[in-house]
Amino acid sequence: MAQFSLPKNSKIEVGKYYKDKTNSKNLRKIKVYRWDPSTGKNPRTDTFEVDMDSCGPKVLDILIKIKNEIDPSLTFRRSCAHGVCGSCAMNIDGVNTLACIKSHTDINGDLNVYPLPHLKVVKDLIGDLTTLYKQYESIQPWLKTGKTDQEKIEIKQSQKDREKLDGYYECILCACCSTACPSYWWNGDKYLGPAVLLQAYRWINDSRDNDKKERLKKVADELKLYRCHTIMNCTNSCPKGLNPAKAIGSIKKMLATS
Amino acid sequence: MQNKNNPLSPHLQIYKWQISSLLSISHRIVGVVNILAITLICFWTISLLFGKDNYLIVQIFLNSIFGKFLTISLCWTFSFHILNEIRHLSWDAGFGFDLKIAKFTGVLTLFGSFLLTIIFYFLGRNFF
Repeated sequence: MAQFSLPKNSKIEVGKYYKDKTNSKNLRKIKVYRWDPSTGKNPRTDTFEVDMDSCGPKVLDILIKIKNEIDPSLTFRRSCAHGVCGSCAMNIDGVNTLACIKSHTDINGDLNVYPLPHLKVVKDLIGDLTTLYKQYESIQPWLKTGKTDQEKIEIKQSQKDREKLDGYYECILCACCSTACPSYWWNGDKYLGPAVLLQAYRWINDSRDNDKKERLKKVADELKLYRCHTIMNCTNSCPKGLNPAKAIGSIKKMLATS
Repeated sequence: MQNKNNPLSPHLQIYKWQISSLLSISHRIVGVVNILAITLICFWTISLLFGKDNYLIVQIFLNSIFGKFLTISLCWTFSFHILNEIRHLSWDAGFGFDLKIAKFTGVLTLFGSFLLTIIFYFLGRNFF
C-alpha cells in the first residue's frame, strides 16, 4: 500500500532565514529545501532574500547567486545551463522542471524549490536516481541489429523512418517526468516510469533495430508498463515539451494490436 | 550507495495539482463509489422480492432531502465516470494525448458531467 505521508525522518522543518544585506529594494524570497547528511537532523526549508536587480532571469541564476553570495553550502546539480544536459531538474513552484530554463518571472509570490519528488535525498536539492538509471539499463538502450560487425556500409534509415523518432530521441533523461508521476512514487521499484518507457518506445520504434518483438515482450508486464494510468503529470512537466504519456500509450496500443 | 537513513523528498505534499491528475484520482474514487452504489441498488431490487414495504422504506428515504442529495450525487458520479471513461477509451485507441487536447477534454468532461447530471435528474423526474 502506498504511503501518502512522509516518513518521520523526512518531515520538513522550518529552517534559517537569511536576511538581505545589500539593502536592495527589489527583493524576492526563495524557499529552498535543505538537508545535510552530516548533521543527522530532519530536512528543513531555508528562506533566502535575494536581490533581484543583480540576478539573472532563470531560477538556476538565483540558486547560483545564493551559493556564491549567501550560503556556499547550498548543493545542487547543474552543468550546461541551456536545458540540454538535464542536471538541474528539480521541483520549482510545485512542478518538476529544469532550473536553467525556468524563468523566475513566470512565478508569482515566494519561490519554492524542492528536489525531485519521492527520491532519497543525497544532499539539499540532489536526489538519488540510481533506481531510474538501473531501469534505463534494463531496457537495453542501444541498437540491436543482429548483424555480424563485418558489414562494410552503414545501416541506412529513410527520412520517413527517422521522423518516427521525432519527439522521442530528444529526451535528455532529466527524470522530471518519472518523478512527477504518482504511480511511479508508489511503485517506483517495479514500474519503469515515463522516462524509461519513453526511451523503450524510442528503441522499439527505430527502423534499424531488429529486436522489436523481444523488446515489446520484455516491457509487456503488469507492473513494468501497465501501472501507467494516464495521469499525464509526465507530459505536463516535461521541460523539453515531449509526450511520455503518448509514448506509453503507443506501446500499449502496439501490444494490443500485435 | 547506502542511503537507508536518507530522507525521502516531499511528493504529494508539494506537487501542484494538474487538471489531468485531479481528474485521474477523481475517476478512481468515483469508480469505487459507483461500485458501492450499484451493489446497494441491487440489494434494493432484491428487497422487492420480500414485499412492497421494504421497497417503500427506501423510497421514502430517497425522497428525503438527504436522499435527494444522494441521488443527485450519484447521478454526477455516474455521469463523470462515463465521460472520463470515454476519454480513457480514446487514449487506449491512441487519440487525444496532445497536452492541449488532453486538458481541453478534461475540462469538457468536468463541465459535461454536471450537464449530464442535470439531464439525468430531470429524466428521472419525468420532466421531459
